[in-house]
Amino acid sequence: MTVRPPRIVTPAAGLVFATACAALAALPIALELSGYAHNLLTLSFIMIAGALGWNWIGGFVGQVSFGHAAMFGVGGFVAGRLMLSMQLPAPLCWLGGALAAGCFALGGHPMLRLRGPYFSIATIGVGEASRLVFTYWERFTGGSSGLSLPIDADLKYQLYWWALGLAASVAAVSYAIRRSSLGLKLLAIKADVDAAADVGISATYYQDLIFALSGAVVGLAGGLYASYFSFIEPSDMFGFDRSITFVLMAVIGGVGTSLGPLLGAVVFVLVRTYLLASYPDLYLGLYGLLLILIILFEPLGLTGLALRVLGWVRRARAPARGPAP
Amino acid sequence: MTALLETRRLTRRFGGLCALDGVDLALREREILGVIGPNGAGKTTLFSLIAGSLAPSSGDILLDGRPVTRLPAHRCVRAGIVRTHQIVRPFGNLTVFENLMVASHARSGAAGHARERAAELLDFVGLGERAAHYPGSLTLAGRKRLELARALATGPRVVLLDEVVAGVNPTEAIAFTALIRRVRDERGVAVIMTEHVMPAVMSLSDRVMVLDHGKRIAEGTPQQVVDDPLVVSAYLGTAATEVRT
Repeated sequence: MTVRPPRIVTPAAGLVFATACAALAALPIALELSGYAHNLLTLSFIMIAGALGWNWIGGFVGQVSFGHAAMFGVGGFVAGRLMLSMQLPAPLCWLGGALAAGCFALGGHPMLRLRGPYFSIATIGVGEASRLVFTYWERFTGGSSGLSLPIDADLKYQLYWWALGLAASVAAVSYAIRRSSLGLKLLAIKADVDAAADVGISATYYQDLIFALSGAVVGLAGGLYASYFSFIEPSDMFGFDRSITFVLMAVIGGVGTSLGPLLGAVVFVLVRTYLLASYPDLYLGLYGLLLILIILFEPLGLTGLALRVLGWVRRARAPARGPAP
Repeated sequence: MTALLETRRLTRRFGGLCALDGVDLALREREILGVIGPNGAGKTTLFSLIAGSLAPSSGDILLDGRPVTRLPAHRCVRAGIVRTHQIVRPFGNLTVFENLMVASHARSGAAGHARERAAELLDFVGLGERAAHYPGSLTLAGRKRLELARALATGPRVVLLDEVVAGVNPTEAIAFTALIRRVRDERGVAVIMTEHVMPAVMSLSDRVMVLDHGKRIAEGTPQQVVDDPLVVSAYLGTAATEVRT
């Protein structure tokens, strides 16, 4: 038997990815985007990073977290505090926020002994507890009046490329994880945690590792988000809505697929912006409906839909080419 | 000659029930040891203790004279002890080949090496054609082969086979028997197997140990064990023993 080593990245896929990144990077200058479009894309990039980061634990390991707002908030507020108190350059503040969020996620170690719905319920508890603690910790977060960050117009404009860089890097890393031996181990833990231990995988170690990495990425997204809005308050950053957002984006795009949540995040941001403007009372209901439809008919979300369409196209074209030799 | 794997007074209680009661066991290099006994005798508990899935209540487990008693399962695998499950547990979300890759990585860090070993093992168990399939598409016998290959992919010195032959058709059972013999002869792996399919266990085993109610009641060559009145009574009751004697 010959087993060809699977290529990590096919040249074609790499080329498409690089071209897409370059096109997006050139977009604001080439097309003279309106401020509105510029901001919308920036927000999409930040959310792409968050959704992909959530998917590392929620999709690859199948531990569905409803508490990622905690890491998002820690990342945002630590970055904000570093900016205000120490006047560090913004990228350093974001990194500081990511580091803090990663360490905060390591505190999730006891929760990771739970599986399935029990884990999800525990994350709701921890997420809500974090929201309350940070709301009442007024010296750090400013309480319910929040923090205003010193973001000048230049940085706000440049945020587009920082966010694009973050989203592209997280997408590349997601893809790499899914194709690596780390990805196989995470999927094995998802399938059967005891059988995984029986082939030498320490579920504790890998779950802690990927939860911390996932938390750090979401914290980084939180830091950029804080700079994007230049005003943050705990009830928004740590809110339960925020946690649900990550789950929704991943589910819409395709939970557990390497790049599905990217699509989910784009659709989510666009639909939300449109619905929030036109039907502010309806948008949560519509998301609920969308979620039900996806779970019932297409558990892999948009990715599943895309694969299905691709299958139809292939089957439709196959007879025309005659039987395979 | 020192034993490769040894248990000393190995005991496990579940509340008031003593599932395994002071069992001594010694496994030599390149040996196939059969463990038989009626249902509930403690065979699977014995495996769970040795493989680290359960912690013993008391007693010791030694590999090469070094204690591995309370190592968690994943550390036991790295030490060289691996088990298969009576009810197969393939990773359904990974292809057959990926199932072996993930096990292979447990031992060797280098991806190239892991890939070669996984490919070689697929051929060894006769699943070479199915590399890209998902375990769900395999027959039960195929999944049992996968379970065995996945255990071997971790590069073990001792493999614990929990009823690998049970449940497959007679032709497959014969093929499996040959395969287990090759595991020992070609790969130099020592085997402990439990089995209800007597022809398989009797023809394969160098020695057989009989468990009943958590205690070792007999040990010896397959023939010695079959002739032991205690064993006959454990399986068939005392009246049967009286009839025979």
